[in-house]
Amino acid sequence: MSLPISYSVRNVRARLRRTSLTIAVIALAVVASAVFLALISSLQRTLVSTGSPANLVVLRKGSDNDGSSMLTLEAYQAIRFFDGIARNAEGQPIVSPEMVVQPTVRAVSGTRENVLARGVEPMALVVHDRVRIVAGRMFRPSSGEAVLGAGTVGRYQGARLGEELAFGRRRWRVVGIMEAAGSSFESEVWVDARELASDANRPFPYSGIRLRVAAGADRDALVRRIEDDPRYALEAKPETDYYAEQAKSSRSLYVLLVVLAVPVGIAAGLGAANTMFAAVQARTVEIGTLRALGFSRATILRAFLLESFGVAMVGFAVGAVGTLALAAGIGAVLGDIGFTAATFTTNLVALRVGAGDLAAAFLFAAAIGIIGGLLPAWRAARLRPVEALRKA
Amino acid sequence: MPEPLIALRDVSRVYRRGADDVHALEHVSLTIAGGLFAALMGPSGSGKSTLLNLLSGIDRPSGGDVVVAGKRLNDLSEDALARWRSRHVGLIFQFYNLIPVLSALENVELPLLLTALDRRERLARARLALDVVGLGARAAHAPAELSGGEQQRVAIARAIVTDPDLIIADEPTGDLDARNADQILRLLLELSHELQKTVVMVTHDPRASEWVDIVFHLEKGVLKETYAGGAGKARAPATGGPP
Repeated sequence: MSLPISYSVRNVRARLRRTSLTIAVIALAVVASAVFLALISSLQRTLVSTGSPANLVVLRKGSDNDGSSMLTLEAYQAIRFFDGIARNAEGQPIVSPEMVVQPTVRAVSGTRENVLARGVEPMALVVHDRVRIVAGRMFRPSSGEAVLGAGTVGRYQGARLGEELAFGRRRWRVVGIMEAAGSSFESEVWVDARELASDANRPFPYSGIRLRVAAGADRDALVRRIEDDPRYALEAKPETDYYAEQAKSSRSLYVLLVVLAVPVGIAAGLGAANTMFAAVQARTVEIGTLRALGFSRATILRAFLLESFGVAMVGFAVGAVGTLALAAGIGAVLGDIGFTAATFTTNLVALRVGAGDLAAAFLFAAAIGIIGGLLPAWRAARLRPVEALRKA
Repeated sequence: MPEPLIALRDVSRVYRRGADDVHALEHVSLTIAGGLFAALMGPSGSGKSTLLNLLSGIDRPSGGDVVVAGKRLNDLSEDALARWRSRHVGLIFQFYNLIPVLSALENVELPLLLTALDRRERLARARLALDVVGLGARAAHAPAELSGGEQQRVAIARAIVTDPDLIIADEPTGDLDARNADQILRLLLELSHELQKTVVMVTHDPRASEWVDIVFHLEKGVLKETYAGGAGKARAPATGGPP
């Protein structure tokens, strides 16, 4: 038979103010881990949701992203008539040749950021069927117009409908705003492909091709056909795979998570241990009394572990509220968070704290409480009643 | 003459303090019959509390036998001693040793958590014990809300709630004024004479000898003298009290 849980709960409550520093450090560890996990999962969600499983990305062999690839007009003209590519109502292949450059743009804050500028043709809106123009209209070819991803609006100087955005060697008039279900297209600026290639002085007109595989067609056969063509040295992969690989770059954030959250976690664990050592010290006579009344060592150990766990849970609750408030505050004050991906372009990510992020932080706090409480609880359980009572 | 509840044979207790051996008790032999109210008296450092700890199984002797309620305590492990105490001994301390975060009722219920009783039975018994010590109305109060005398009565209720054979009291009146001390001594006497509990008490209080049946006088770890107390001489009526 063990001591009632209310015994541990009331002891935590009785010391709540004295324990507040420990609770604060545990809360900090919770905030640090939950926010970083939320950043990582938000970034991954954004990148992974960008790809469509029906689309293929075609790049020069050896390029791992749009920015480092290049493609000739001849290759584009040949590939678009391959079998297995979907066609629109007019019978045209649904193929979007694209030019990607990463110019720097001056942010409203004055700093310069690399933005992903995607040169496209009208077919882009068919291939990327989740991209919708939500304000204004699509740009007209060869007229120096741009359509902005919703995430960039207001972030860069001139990034508003009707204003002019400066990058490359010219200014681009903003004629439309596009949304793409929170995916990374919302971090991009779309302009005419030919205009972008000439402005950026590129020897080739395109970086790569996005195309829609026809319903019922053999996707793998199409991939082989593209990759095996001896004229062009290309590779093709599903768009979902392409963005999943881009998301891998976010793994470097895990390092940051470990570097920041783990030391705070260790500090919190030491804080919890210190708090519990103080509790054992202050309650030596009480422990001796319980042992004298006949309670076993295991009972004492459990009661003190439960207390340490309780302190950690209060810390978790404070930290969880803090995390949600912080995420809401970041969203309200700073808007989306700019991530510089492996390609050096800025991805704009809406920070969203998910249940999984909080669950991981909960486990972290619980581990802090239990590991931090183990040694003090062990010491309490080892006290011999005759020695503990002598302190009275 | 009833069977002795307590039998000590040639009991010694030696502590190591640094390089020195401290002989807290030397070759003490005594028996205490069931239902007696006994006092262990003597100056500070005479070994009274050591003897009390050995009787209650809180400590173990360095030599000799300690047999209480038919059980030889020498060989029991810490946890086995704890289990034995929970069944056979009620403990009363000088500074009451109540658990501050628990109410009076919960403090009294505490030893019953080690029994098979369900919660309803435990609370009923705890209430009864509080009624016995006259504190039924204060059941919901925290120890800090009670006077010293009241706290000690709660501690007595906690000691008797499991219906133990032996009640051990370490200076139960040491922290109380004369009026409260008398109340506590009367209560202990009633437990002994009316409920047939064996009560062994360590005390410095010279007046206490008037309340008990028998006094064991120790000096420097040696049992010097055994004599009848006031209650023993008179075997006072049930209401108790010094002659």
